[in-house]
Amino acid sequence: MDIIDLSWWQLSIGFLILIIPAWILWRYKTGLNKKLGIATVRMTLQLLFVGYYLEYLFELDNAWLNAAWIMVMVLVADFATIDRSELRRKKSLLIPIFAATFFGIIVIDIFFLELVIQLPTFLAAQYTIPITGMVLGNCLRSNVIGINAFYYSLNEHQERYRFYLTCGATRSEAVFPFFRDALKKSANPTLASMATIGLVSLPGMMTGQILSGSSPLIAIKYQIMIMLAIFSGTVLSVYLGIKLSNRFVFFDNDVLDSSILKD
Amino acid sequence: MGYSSYSVPYSTRSIPTARPLKNSYTRAVFQAIFIQTLIMNSDSPAIFTASGIHFSYENEKVFSDFSLQINQGEKVAIKGESGSGKTTLFRLLLGFEYPDEGDMRYKEEPYTTQLIQQMRRELAWLPQDLNLGEGTVQELSDFLFGFEANKSQKPSSKRLGETLTKLGLEKSMLNQKYAELSTGQRQRIGLACCYLMNRDILLLDEPTSALDAQSKQKVADLLLQDGRTIISTSHDEWWLERCDRIIDLQPEQ
Repeated sequence: MDIIDLSWWQLSIGFLILIIPAWILWRYKTGLNKKLGIATVRMTLQLLFVGYYLEYLFELDNAWLNAAWIMVMVLVADFATIDRSELRRKKSLLIPIFAATFFGIIVIDIFFLELVIQLPTFLAAQYTIPITGMVLGNCLRSNVIGINAFYYSLNEHQERYRFYLTCGATRSEAVFPFFRDALKKSANPTLASMATIGLVSLPGMMTGQILSGSSPLIAIKYQIMIMLAIFSGTVLSVYLGIKLSNRFVFFDNDVLDSSILKD
Repeated sequence: MGYSSYSVPYSTRSIPTARPLKNSYTRAVFQAIFIQTLIMNSDSPAIFTASGIHFSYENEKVFSDFSLQINQGEKVAIKGESGSGKTTLFRLLLGFEYPDEGDMRYKEEPYTTQLIQQMRRELAWLPQDLNLGEGTVQELSDFLFGFEANKSQKPSSKRLGETLTKLGLEKSMLNQKYAELSTGQRQRIGLACCYLMNRDILLLDEPTSALDAQSKQKVADLLLQDGRTIISTSHDEWWLERCDRIIDLQPEQ
Protein backbone atom coordinates (compact mmCIF):
# COMPACT_ATOMS: atom_id res chain seq x y z
CA MET A 1 0.00 0.00 0.00
CA ASP A 2 1.38 3.43 -0.91
CA ILE A 3 1.71 6.12 1.71
CA ILE A 4 -1.19 8.61 2.00
CA ASP A 5 0.21 12.03 1.23
CA LEU A 6 -0.96 14.72 3.64
CA SER A 7 -2.33 17.84 2.03
CA TRP A 8 -1.32 21.20 3.60
CA TRP A 9 -4.86 21.76 4.94
CA GLN A 10 -4.84 18.30 6.53
CA LEU A 11 -1.57 19.20 8.23
CA SER A 12 -3.08 22.51 9.42
CA ILE A 13 -5.88 20.56 11.09
CA GLY A 14 -3.16 18.60 12.89
CA PHE A 15 -2.04 21.83 14.62
CA LEU A 16 -5.46 22.13 16.27
CA ILE A 17 -4.53 19.36 18.71
CA LEU A 18 -2.14 21.85 20.38
CA ILE A 19 -5.17 23.56 21.92
CA ILE A 20 -5.33 20.79 24.53
CA PRO A 21 -1.74 21.01 25.88
CA ALA A 22 -1.81 24.82 25.51
CA TRP A 23 -4.96 24.98 27.71
CA ILE A 24 -3.38 22.65 30.33
CA LEU A 25 -0.18 24.73 30.38
CA TRP A 26 -2.22 27.97 30.67
CA ARG A 27 -4.51 26.56 33.38
CA TYR A 28 -1.54 25.73 35.60
CA LYS A 29 0.21 29.04 34.86
CA THR A 30 3.36 27.36 33.61
CA GLY A 31 4.25 30.31 31.41
CA LEU A 32 5.26 27.84 28.72
CA ASN A 33 2.76 28.88 26.04
CA LYS A 34 5.00 31.57 24.57
CA LYS A 35 7.77 29.00 24.35
CA LEU A 36 5.32 26.53 22.80
CA GLY A 37 4.37 29.10 20.14
CA ILE A 38 7.99 29.86 19.28
CA ALA A 39 8.95 26.17 19.26
CA THR A 40 6.03 25.26 16.99
CA VAL A 41 6.83 28.04 14.50
CA ARG A 42 10.55 27.17 14.54
CA MET A 43 9.86 23.46 14.06
CA THR A 44 7.53 24.13 11.12
CA LEU A 45 9.85 26.61 9.37
CA GLN A 46 12.98 24.51 9.94
CA LEU A 47 11.31 21.36 8.63
CA LEU A 48 9.82 23.21 5.66
CA PHE A 49 13.28 24.48 4.81
CA VAL A 50 14.84 21.04 5.26
CA GLY A 51 12.02 19.41 3.23
CA TYR A 52 12.54 21.67 0.24
CA TYR A 53 16.31 21.54 0.61
CA LEU A 54 16.38 17.74 0.80
CA GLU A 55 14.15 17.47 -2.29
CA TYR A 56 16.79 19.50 -4.09
CA LEU A 57 19.62 17.48 -2.52
CA PHE A 58 18.04 14.15 -3.47
CA GLU A 59 17.52 15.36 -7.03
CA LEU A 60 21.15 16.37 -7.45
CA ASP A 61 22.49 13.44 -5.36
CA ASN A 62 26.05 14.74 -5.38
CA ALA A 63 28.48 13.22 -2.84
CA TRP A 64 30.30 16.55 -2.30
CA LEU A 65 27.08 18.41 -1.71
CA ASN A 66 25.95 15.70 0.73
CA ALA A 67 29.28 15.89 2.56
CA ALA A 68 28.95 19.68 2.77
CA TRP A 69 25.44 19.27 4.24
CA ILE A 70 26.85 16.87 6.86
CA MET A 71 29.45 19.51 7.74
CA VAL A 72 26.71 22.08 8.24
CA MET A 73 24.73 19.67 10.44
CA VAL A 74 27.84 18.90 12.53
CA LEU A 75 28.61 22.62 12.89
CA VAL A 76 25.09 23.38 14.13
CA ALA A 77 25.31 20.37 16.49
CA ASP A 78 28.68 21.68 17.74
CA PHE A 79 27.24 25.06 18.82
CA ALA A 80 24.11 23.38 20.22
CA THR A 81 26.26 20.98 22.29
CA ILE A 82 28.25 23.83 23.84
CA ASP A 83 25.16 25.93 24.57
CA ARG A 84 23.06 23.14 26.02
CA SER A 85 26.00 21.83 28.07
CA GLU A 86 26.00 25.25 29.81
CA LEU A 87 29.53 25.89 28.55
CA ARG A 88 30.91 29.01 26.92
CA ARG A 89 31.48 29.25 23.17
CA LYS A 90 35.26 29.21 23.36
CA LYS A 91 37.63 28.04 20.65
CA SER A 92 39.13 25.60 23.15
CA LEU A 93 35.76 23.78 23.19
CA LEU A 94 34.19 24.53 19.79
CA ILE A 95 37.05 23.15 17.72
CA PRO A 96 37.64 19.88 19.66
CA ILE A 97 33.92 19.10 19.94
CA PHE A 98 33.40 19.83 16.23
CA ALA A 99 36.36 17.56 15.38
CA ALA A 100 35.07 14.83 17.71
CA THR A 101 31.51 14.87 16.34
CA PHE A 102 32.69 15.08 12.75
CA PHE A 103 35.16 12.22 13.16
CA GLY A 104 32.57 10.12 14.99
CA ILE A 105 30.01 10.65 12.20
CA ILE A 106 32.52 9.93 9.45
CA VAL A 107 33.53 6.60 11.07
CA ILE A 108 29.90 5.54 11.52
CA ASP A 109 28.84 6.69 8.03
CA ILE A 110 31.71 5.00 6.24
CA PHE A 111 31.21 1.78 8.23
CA PHE A 112 27.44 1.46 7.87
CA LEU A 113 26.81 3.14 4.52
CA GLU A 114 29.75 1.81 2.59
CA LEU A 115 30.66 -1.46 4.34
CA VAL A 116 27.32 -2.70 5.66
CA ILE A 117 24.67 -1.31 3.27
CA GLN A 118 27.18 -0.97 0.40
CA LEU A 119 25.54 1.97 -1.33
CA PRO A 120 25.68 1.83 -5.14
CA THR A 121 26.86 5.46 -5.25
CA PHE A 122 29.18 7.01 -2.65
CA LEU A 123 27.23 8.90 0.06
CA ALA A 124 23.89 8.52 -1.76
CA ALA A 125 21.58 11.23 -0.38
CA GLN A 126 18.55 8.99 0.25
CA TYR A 127 20.54 6.94 2.81
CA THR A 128 23.31 9.28 3.91
CA ILE A 129 21.23 12.26 4.97
CA PRO A 130 18.58 10.51 7.12
CA ILE A 131 21.00 8.07 8.75
CA THR A 132 23.55 10.81 9.49
CA GLY A 133 20.76 13.01 10.84
CA MET A 134 19.53 10.31 13.20
CA VAL A 135 23.01 9.46 14.48
CA LEU A 136 23.93 13.13 14.81
CA GLY A 137 20.75 13.99 16.72
CA ASN A 138 21.58 11.29 19.24
CA CYS A 139 25.25 12.31 19.37
CA LEU A 140 24.10 15.81 20.24
CA ARG A 141 21.93 14.56 23.09
CA SER A 142 24.68 12.30 24.48
CA ASN A 143 27.39 14.93 24.05
CA VAL A 144 25.31 17.40 26.03
CA ILE A 145 24.86 14.90 28.87
CA GLY A 146 28.45 13.60 28.81
CA ILE A 147 30.35 16.85 28.33
CA ASN A 148 28.21 18.74 30.83
CA ALA A 149 28.58 15.93 33.39
CA PHE A 150 32.35 15.78 32.90
CA TYR A 151 33.21 19.47 33.22
CA TYR A 152 30.69 20.41 35.89
CA SER A 153 31.52 17.38 38.00
CA LEU A 154 35.24 18.10 37.65
CA ASN A 155 34.65 21.70 38.71
CA GLU A 156 32.43 20.70 41.61
CA HIS A 157 34.88 18.07 42.84
CA GLN A 158 38.08 20.02 42.19
CA GLU A 159 39.45 19.04 45.57
CA ARG A 160 39.17 15.36 44.71
CA TYR A 161 40.78 15.91 41.29
CA ARG A 162 43.60 17.91 42.87
CA PHE A 163 44.05 15.26 45.55
CA TYR A 164 44.66 12.69 42.79
CA LEU A 165 47.17 15.03 41.14
CA THR A 166 49.07 15.45 44.39
CA CYS A 167 49.08 11.68 44.78
CA GLY A 168 51.23 11.62 41.65
CA ALA A 169 48.47 11.06 39.07
CA THR A 170 48.94 12.37 35.55
CA ARG A 171 46.11 14.55 34.33
CA SER A 172 44.53 11.68 32.40
CA GLU A 173 44.80 9.41 35.46
CA ALA A 174 43.25 12.11 37.67
CA VAL A 175 40.27 12.75 35.38
CA PHE A 176 39.62 9.01 34.93
CA PRO A 177 36.70 8.71 37.44
CA PHE A 178 35.04 11.84 36.03
CA PHE A 179 35.48 10.50 32.49
CA ARG A 180 34.00 7.14 33.50
CA ASP A 181 30.96 8.77 35.13
CA ALA A 182 30.39 11.03 32.11
CA LEU A 183 30.52 8.04 29.73
CA LYS A 184 28.09 6.11 31.94
CA LYS A 185 25.65 9.02 32.10
CA SER A 186 25.73 9.62 28.36
CA ALA A 187 25.51 5.96 27.31
CA ASN A 188 22.73 4.97 29.73
CA PRO A 189 19.74 6.56 27.88
CA THR A 190 20.66 4.83 24.59
CA LEU A 191 21.24 1.54 26.40
CA ALA A 192 17.86 1.87 28.09
CA SER A 193 16.09 2.53 24.80
CA MET A 194 17.92 -0.42 23.19
CA ALA A 195 16.67 -2.65 25.98
CA THR A 196 13.02 -1.62 25.58
CA ILE A 197 12.80 -0.95 21.86
CA GLY A 198 9.90 -2.70 20.14
CA LEU A 199 8.20 -3.47 23.44
CA VAL A 200 7.51 -0.04 24.85
CA SER A 201 7.86 2.07 21.72
CA LEU A 202 8.13 1.71 17.97
CA PRO A 203 11.05 3.83 16.86
CA GLY A 204 10.64 6.67 14.36
CA MET A 205 12.74 5.27 11.56
CA MET A 206 10.96 1.90 11.61
CA THR A 207 7.54 3.58 11.80
CA GLY A 208 8.44 5.80 8.84
CA GLN A 209 9.53 2.85 6.74
CA ILE A 210 6.40 0.85 7.55
CA LEU A 211 4.21 3.89 6.75
CA SER A 212 5.93 4.30 3.41
CA GLY A 213 5.14 0.70 2.51
CA SER A 214 8.27 -1.25 3.53
CA SER A 215 7.92 -4.73 4.95
CA PRO A 216 8.25 -4.74 8.76
CA LEU A 217 11.12 -7.24 8.39
CA ILE A 218 13.14 -4.82 6.27
CA ALA A 219 12.19 -2.05 8.68
CA ILE A 220 13.51 -3.93 11.73
CA LYS A 221 16.81 -4.74 9.99
CA TYR A 222 17.32 -1.04 9.35
CA GLN A 223 16.23 -0.24 12.89
CA ILE A 224 18.75 -2.69 14.39
CA MET A 225 21.45 -1.19 12.21
CA ILE A 226 20.54 2.36 13.16
CA MET A 227 20.53 1.48 16.89
CA LEU A 228 24.03 0.03 16.54
CA ALA A 229 25.09 3.15 14.64
CA ILE A 230 23.56 5.47 17.23
CA PHE A 231 25.11 3.68 20.20
CA SER A 232 28.57 3.45 18.64
CA GLY A 233 28.41 7.00 17.28
CA THR A 234 27.34 8.52 20.60
CA VAL A 235 29.97 6.72 22.70
CA LEU A 236 32.68 7.58 20.16
CA SER A 237 31.74 11.25 19.93
CA VAL A 238 31.46 11.70 23.73
CA TYR A 239 34.80 9.93 24.20
CA LEU A 240 36.52 12.03 21.54
CA GLY A 241 34.76 15.22 22.66
CA ILE A 242 36.10 14.93 26.21
CA LYS A 243 39.49 13.57 25.16
CA LEU A 244 40.16 16.29 22.58
CA SER A 245 38.77 19.21 24.59
CA ASN A 246 40.88 18.06 27.58
CA ARG A 247 43.95 19.10 25.63
CA PHE A 248 42.86 22.74 25.55
CA VAL A 249 40.94 23.52 28.74
CA PHE A 250 43.60 22.99 31.40
CA PHE A 251 46.38 25.35 32.40
CA ASP A 252 49.92 24.01 32.37
CA ASN A 253 49.67 23.31 36.14
CA ASP A 254 46.71 20.97 35.36
CA VAL A 255 44.12 23.33 36.83
CA LEU A 256 40.83 23.43 34.90
CA ASP A 257 40.19 26.74 33.15
CA SER A 258 36.87 27.44 34.85
CA SER A 259 36.12 30.31 32.44
CA ILE A 260 34.71 27.65 30.08
CA LEU A 261 31.83 27.15 32.53
CA LYS A 262 28.85 29.46 32.75
CA ASP A 263 28.32 31.04 36.17
CA MET B 1 55.56 43.43 55.06
CA GLY B 2 51.83 43.90 54.65
CA TYR B 3 51.15 40.59 56.27
CA SER B 4 51.95 39.52 59.74
CA SER B 5 53.70 36.24 59.43
CA TYR B 6 55.93 34.89 62.12
CA SER B 7 57.03 31.61 63.50
CA VAL B 8 56.63 30.71 67.10
CA PRO B 9 58.29 27.72 68.71
CA TYR B 10 55.48 25.81 70.30
CA SER B 11 56.89 22.44 71.06
CA THR B 12 60.00 21.00 72.51
CA ARG B 13 60.76 18.83 69.51
CA SER B 14 63.58 20.77 67.87
CA ILE B 15 64.05 23.71 70.23
CA PRO B 16 64.11 22.30 73.73
CA THR B 17 63.76 25.60 75.56
CA ALA B 18 60.86 26.92 73.52
CA ARG B 19 57.45 27.24 75.17
CA PRO B 20 54.19 28.85 74.11
CA LEU B 21 54.34 32.59 74.50
CA LYS B 22 51.48 34.50 76.06
CA ASN B 23 50.48 38.11 75.33
CA SER B 24 53.84 39.23 74.21
CA TYR B 25 53.99 40.26 70.61
CA THR B 26 57.52 41.67 70.97
CA ARG B 27 58.80 38.45 72.45
CA ALA B 28 56.99 36.48 69.76
CA VAL B 29 58.59 38.47 66.98
CA PHE B 30 61.98 38.29 68.67
CA GLN B 31 61.72 34.56 69.03
CA ALA B 32 60.37 34.24 65.50
CA ILE B 33 63.48 35.95 64.14
CA PHE B 34 65.62 33.77 66.38
CA ILE B 35 63.92 30.57 65.25
CA GLN B 36 63.93 31.61 61.62
CA THR B 37 67.66 32.20 61.90
CA LEU B 38 68.10 28.79 63.48
CA ILE B 39 66.13 27.19 60.69
CA MET B 40 67.91 29.09 57.95
CA ASN B 41 71.20 27.99 59.41
CA SER B 42 70.19 24.41 59.97
CA ASP B 43 71.81 21.68 57.93
CA SER B 44 68.51 20.38 56.56
CA PRO B 45 67.95 21.42 52.97
CA ALA B 46 65.00 23.65 52.14
CA ILE B 47 61.94 21.88 50.75
CA PHE B 48 59.77 24.94 50.09
CA THR B 49 60.98 28.50 49.85
CA ALA B 50 58.66 31.40 49.14
CA SER B 51 60.19 34.88 48.92
CA GLY B 52 58.39 38.20 48.61
CA ILE B 53 55.09 36.62 47.58
CA HIS B 54 52.24 38.88 46.53
CA PHE B 55 48.94 37.20 45.77
CA SER B 56 45.44 38.55 45.23
CA TYR B 57 42.28 36.59 44.70
CA GLU B 58 39.43 38.36 42.92
CA ASN B 59 40.99 41.77 43.68
CA GLU B 60 41.36 40.89 47.36
CA LYS B 61 44.89 40.87 48.70
CA VAL B 62 45.79 37.59 50.37
CA PHE B 63 49.57 37.92 50.62
CA SER B 64 51.78 41.00 50.52
CA ASP B 65 55.52 40.41 50.53
CA PHE B 66 55.11 37.08 52.27
CA SER B 67 58.13 34.84 52.81
CA LEU B 68 58.51 31.35 54.16
CA GLN B 69 60.98 28.52 54.29
CA ILE B 70 60.25 24.94 55.25
CA ASN B 71 63.14 22.57 55.68
CA GLN B 72 63.41 18.85 55.29
CA GLY B 73 62.07 16.87 58.23
CA GLU B 74 60.29 19.82 59.83
CA LYS B 75 56.83 19.42 61.30
CA VAL B 76 55.25 22.77 60.58
CA ALA B 77 51.74 23.81 61.52
CA ILE B 78 49.97 26.74 59.91
CA LYS B 79 47.23 28.41 61.87
CA GLY B 80 45.12 31.45 61.30
CA GLU B 81 41.51 32.46 61.17
CA SER B 82 39.29 31.92 58.17
CA GLY B 83 40.41 34.06 55.25
CA SER B 84 43.95 34.38 56.50
CA GLY B 85 45.33 32.52 53.49
CA LYS B 86 45.94 28.97 54.78
CA THR B 87 44.20 27.34 51.81
CA THR B 88 45.86 29.74 49.38
CA LEU B 89 49.27 28.99 50.87
CA PHE B 90 48.74 25.27 50.28
CA ARG B 91 47.57 25.97 46.73
CA LEU B 92 50.67 28.05 46.08
CA LEU B 93 52.96 25.38 47.54
CA LEU B 94 51.24 22.66 45.49
CA GLY B 95 51.49 24.70 42.28
CA PHE B 96 47.73 25.10 41.81
CA GLU B 97 48.09 28.89 41.97
CA TYR B 98 50.93 31.09 40.85
CA PRO B 99 51.88 34.18 42.85
CA ASP B 100 51.33 37.59 41.23
CA GLU B 101 54.86 38.47 42.28
CA GLY B 102 57.66 36.73 44.15
CA ASP B 103 59.73 33.61 43.96
CA MET B 104 58.52 30.10 44.77
CA ARG B 105 61.01 27.28 45.01
CA TYR B 106 60.82 23.58 45.65
CA LYS B 107 64.08 22.00 46.77
CA GLU B 108 65.74 25.27 45.74
CA GLU B 109 64.55 25.03 42.14
CA PRO B 110 62.13 27.67 40.82
CA TYR B 111 58.65 26.35 40.01
CA THR B 112 58.18 25.19 36.42
CA THR B 113 55.57 22.88 34.89
CA GLN B 114 58.02 19.98 34.98
CA LEU B 115 59.06 20.71 38.56
CA ILE B 116 55.44 20.86 39.70
CA GLN B 117 54.78 17.46 38.13
CA GLN B 118 57.91 16.01 39.73
CA MET B 119 56.98 17.56 43.10
CA ARG B 120 53.50 16.00 43.00
CA ARG B 121 55.14 12.60 42.71
CA GLU B 122 57.22 13.27 45.80
CA LEU B 123 54.56 14.60 48.16
CA ALA B 124 50.99 13.95 49.14
CA TRP B 125 48.28 16.38 50.15
CA LEU B 126 45.25 15.44 52.20
CA PRO B 127 42.28 17.83 52.23
CA GLN B 128 40.21 18.14 55.39
CA ASP B 129 37.00 16.43 54.33
CA LEU B 130 37.84 14.50 51.24
CA ASN B 131 35.03 13.09 49.13
CA LEU B 132 36.43 10.28 47.01
CA GLY B 133 33.10 9.31 45.50
CA GLU B 134 31.70 5.83 45.22
CA GLY B 135 33.46 2.54 45.88
CA THR B 136 34.81 0.54 48.77
CA VAL B 137 37.94 1.56 50.66
CA GLN B 138 39.84 -1.26 48.95
CA GLU B 139 38.68 -0.09 45.49
CA LEU B 140 39.66 3.50 46.19
CA SER B 141 43.05 2.39 47.45
CA ASP B 142 43.50 0.26 44.32
CA PHE B 143 42.71 3.33 42.23
CA LEU B 144 45.29 5.52 44.02
CA PHE B 145 47.95 2.83 43.82
CA GLY B 146 47.08 2.21 40.17
CA PHE B 147 48.70 5.52 39.18
CA GLU B 148 51.94 4.95 37.34
CA ALA B 149 53.81 6.93 40.04
CA ASN B 150 52.46 4.71 42.85
CA LYS B 151 52.39 1.25 41.30
CA SER B 152 55.66 0.21 42.94
CA GLN B 153 54.27 1.19 46.36
CA LYS B 154 51.02 -0.76 46.04
CA PRO B 155 50.38 -2.34 49.44
CA SER B 156 48.97 -5.81 49.90
CA SER B 157 45.52 -5.97 51.49
CA LYS B 158 47.31 -7.25 54.61
CA ARG B 159 49.60 -4.22 54.84
CA LEU B 160 46.76 -1.84 54.11
CA GLY B 161 44.71 -3.52 56.83
CA GLU B 162 47.63 -3.29 59.28
CA THR B 163 48.04 0.42 58.59
CA LEU B 164 44.34 0.96 59.20
CA THR B 165 44.72 -0.87 62.52
CA LYS B 166 47.63 1.39 63.48
CA LEU B 167 45.28 4.31 62.99
CA GLY B 168 42.57 2.74 65.12
CA LEU B 169 40.39 1.41 62.28
CA GLU B 170 39.07 -2.10 61.70
CA LYS B 171 40.56 -4.18 58.88
CA SER B 172 37.04 -5.06 57.78
CA MET B 173 36.61 -1.42 56.77
CA LEU B 174 38.39 -2.27 53.52
CA ASN B 175 35.15 -3.72 52.19
CA GLN B 176 32.97 -0.86 53.39
CA LYS B 177 31.69 1.91 51.11
CA TYR B 178 33.89 4.98 51.58
CA ALA B 179 30.91 7.33 51.25
CA GLU B 180 29.19 5.66 54.22
CA LEU B 181 32.08 6.28 56.64
CA SER B 182 32.30 9.10 59.17
CA THR B 183 34.50 12.14 58.53
CA GLY B 184 37.04 10.92 61.09
CA GLN B 185 37.23 7.47 59.48
CA ARG B 186 37.64 8.99 56.03
CA GLN B 187 40.36 11.26 57.34
CA ARG B 188 42.32 8.32 58.72
CA ILE B 189 41.86 6.30 55.52
CA GLY B 190 43.29 9.24 53.57
CA LEU B 191 46.18 9.45 56.02
CA ALA B 192 46.81 5.70 55.69
CA CYS B 193 46.98 6.00 51.88
CA CYS B 194 49.32 9.02 52.06
CA TYR B 195 51.49 7.12 54.56
CA LEU B 196 51.64 4.01 52.37
CA MET B 197 52.59 6.04 49.30
CA ASN B 198 55.87 6.50 51.12
CA ARG B 199 56.08 10.20 50.41
CA ASP B 200 58.71 12.27 52.20
CA ILE B 201 56.53 15.35 52.30
CA LEU B 202 52.94 15.45 53.53
CA LEU B 203 50.64 18.47 53.42
CA LEU B 204 47.71 17.85 55.73
CA ASP B 205 44.64 20.03 56.03
CA GLU B 206 43.34 19.93 59.63
CA PRO B 207 44.50 16.31 60.09
CA THR B 208 42.98 15.90 63.57
CA SER B 209 39.81 17.98 63.22
CA ALA B 210 37.44 14.99 63.33
CA LEU B 211 39.44 12.68 65.59
CA ASP B 212 39.10 11.74 69.25
CA ALA B 213 42.07 11.88 71.62
CA GLN B 214 43.03 8.24 71.10
CA SER B 215 42.92 8.50 67.30
CA LYS B 216 44.93 11.73 67.36
CA GLN B 217 47.65 9.99 69.33
CA LYS B 218 47.75 7.16 66.78
CA VAL B 219 48.03 9.64 63.89
CA ALA B 220 50.81 11.50 65.67
CA ASP B 221 52.63 8.23 66.41
CA LEU B 222 52.44 7.25 62.76
CA LEU B 223 53.33 10.56 61.12
CA LEU B 224 55.31 12.72 63.53
CA GLN B 225 57.91 10.20 64.63
CA ASP B 226 59.94 9.79 61.46
CA GLY B 227 61.95 12.09 59.23
CA ARG B 228 59.10 13.13 56.95
CA THR B 229 58.39 16.78 56.35
CA ILE B 230 54.89 17.48 57.62
CA ILE B 231 53.13 20.74 56.82
CA SER B 232 49.70 20.97 58.32
CA THR B 233 46.99 23.54 58.84
CA SER B 234 45.44 23.18 62.25
CA HIS B 235 43.55 24.88 65.03
CA ASP B 236 43.95 21.94 67.37
CA GLU B 237 46.16 22.95 70.30
CA TRP B 238 47.02 19.30 70.92
CA TRP B 239 48.40 18.93 67.41
CA LEU B 240 50.08 22.37 67.42
CA GLU B 241 52.01 21.43 70.56
CA ARG B 242 53.47 18.44 68.77
CA CYS B 243 54.76 20.37 65.77
CA ASP B 244 58.20 21.95 65.58
CA ARG B 245 57.03 25.30 64.37
CA ILE B 246 53.86 27.28 64.01
CA ILE B 247 53.22 29.83 61.32
CA ASP B 248 50.47 32.16 62.40
CA LEU B 249 48.85 33.81 59.40
CA GLN B 250 47.07 37.09 60.01
CA PRO B 251 44.56 38.41 57.50
CA GLU B 252 45.37 41.69 55.74
CA GLN B 253 44.03 44.60 57.79
